[in-house]
Amino acid sequence: MMRYLFIIILISLSILFSSRVVADIAVIVNPSTGITELTKRQVIDIYMGRTITVSNRIILRPYDKSTNSAIRASFYHQLIGRSVASVNAYWARLLFTGRASPPRTTDDNIAMLKTIENTPNSIGYVYFENLNDNVNVVLRIEINE
Amino acid sequence: MRSLILFIITYLLIFSSIHKANATDLKSDRFRLSGFGTIGITSAGKEQYGYHKEFNHEAQFGGFSVFHDSVLGLQLDADIIPNLTATVQVVIENRKQHDFNNIVDWAFLRYQITPRIVARAGRMGTDLFMLSEYRNVGFAYLWAHPVVEFYAPITTSFYEGLDLQYTYPVASGYLELKVYGGQTGSDIALSRGELHLRARPFYGANASFETDSWKFRLIHAATDVTAVRSPLTGLLDTLNQVPQDAWPQAARFSSKLDGVGKRISYYSAGLAYDDNNWLVQSEVAILSSKWDSINLRNGYVSVGRRFGPVTFYSIAANAKSLDKPTQVTTPLVSSPTLNSLESLTRNAFNAPHINQSTVSLGLRWDLYPKVALKAQWDHTWVKKNGGGLLIIKEPLNKDITLNIFSLNLNFIF
Repeated sequence: MMRYLFIIILISLSILFSSRVVADIAVIVNPSTGITELTKRQVIDIYMGRTITVSNRIILRPYDKSTNSAIRASFYHQLIGRSVASVNAYWARLLFTGRASPPRTTDDNIAMLKTIENTPNSIGYVYFENLNDNVNVVLRIEINE
Repeated sequence: MRSLILFIITYLLIFSSIHKANATDLKSDRFRLSGFGTIGITSAGKEQYGYHKEFNHEAQFGGFSVFHDSVLGLQLDADIIPNLTATVQVVIENRKQHDFNNIVDWAFLRYQITPRIVARAGRMGTDLFMLSEYRNVGFAYLWAHPVVEFYAPITTSFYEGLDLQYTYPVASGYLELKVYGGQTGSDIALSRGELHLRARPFYGANASFETDSWKFRLIHAATDVTAVRSPLTGLLDTLNQVPQDAWPQAARFSSKLDGVGKRISYYSAGLAYDDNNWLVQSEVAILSSKWDSINLRNGYVSVGRRFGPVTFYSIAANAKSLDKPTQVTTPLVSSPTLNSLESLTRNAFNAPHINQSTVSLGLRWDLYPKVALKAQWDHTWVKKNGGGLLIIKEPLNKDITLNIFSLNLNFIF
């Protein structure tokens, strides 16, 4: 009996662990940028429209997932602790005052990956399981559910 | 002329986008159409005391109104060449004036000179408050409507000119410096009728520092009044014609009531804090000029607390004219005409005087990522002869209180 219980716990843990890894988010950039690493601070500043460059040199154009997607909610929650509604309200202030345009949106993870692959100076995010070798991973955002 | 220029910019932008862009273009990077709106029900004012949240809105004299808070805005952004974008925003709401000049809030070109320097030219929002450029976008802020004591007294919501903005990273935040200049104006409704004001030059400078949770702002702006058309124009002319020996101060009263040629200065400081649980915002300002009607200090404090998608908040606000109304002396000669003129002059000095406080309670409920429901109750105290923010038929000769209820649905798309 104890042995079965032990095996069940082990399997549960491994499922929990593997799902946690799969759910982590990779912040990705187009390889032409030459960027291989970004800090969380730099990603926040780009996605909150505070700057359009990295190190005041390389211009980055951010891409978002669609408003109702789970990955977008996780991305902003882990990055700055805000809900999608709160981030939308923040961006409404910048957009409707003509100061900056919010990140463009892509429909799904595959479309996001394709966009970042094909668009110079682009930055986006996908689940690690959707990654390929045509983009540079510059930051890992761990999802602590 | 202003309308013609605006019309041409708007026409070019909208029609170039419609004719040149197919559906794919509109969805792509080059053109972006976005919008915002508010559908609201408001109960405000009383039969003899008209209430409006802004001077360019129709006043409400009691009962419920669907139009008082309702707004629809459309914005088209177009990338013309790299680093150059054009923006036109059209806002339809319960304004006193609905001509083309008054529905185009903005039409400007924006050029990113360097990653840190941006220049804009055209018609832009007057950046005098935390909410100044987005006070029509209900979804973008916490309250059911902007704080009347703080936002209503400044009647110019846009200007035509240039601005230059410089952003620099400092510590864990960004410092932003902005200078601007141009001309402004407003077409508004006051108790004594409509007032059309034009002012040039309009210029100012802002400094703000923003981190993830904090925002601080310092603002200074000034303008010279160049033209005023109001029902007082006739009174001013008449006062100037009164013989000196009949009423020696008449010409001086006329001069004090006349805005033309006078400078208006504005100083403001604001802070905002948002740690995702607590939201605090406060602004204080001084508006001063030698124009007797334009002298005010005002401010507010707002505190909110988030519980998941619902935020509860409370606001305390006050606005008070800096000086007491000018005391009108009695003419040396008594005649029905002069007595009537004296009464009109006294009313003209008293009517714009402001002495008003409000305490508000409200909630914002984020129903969806782009839709928020808001409800707010305001309890307002207006002191005797302090009803300058109201639309009143007779001078306010006693203290009054008003209750305002607002329920509105705010969205962006």
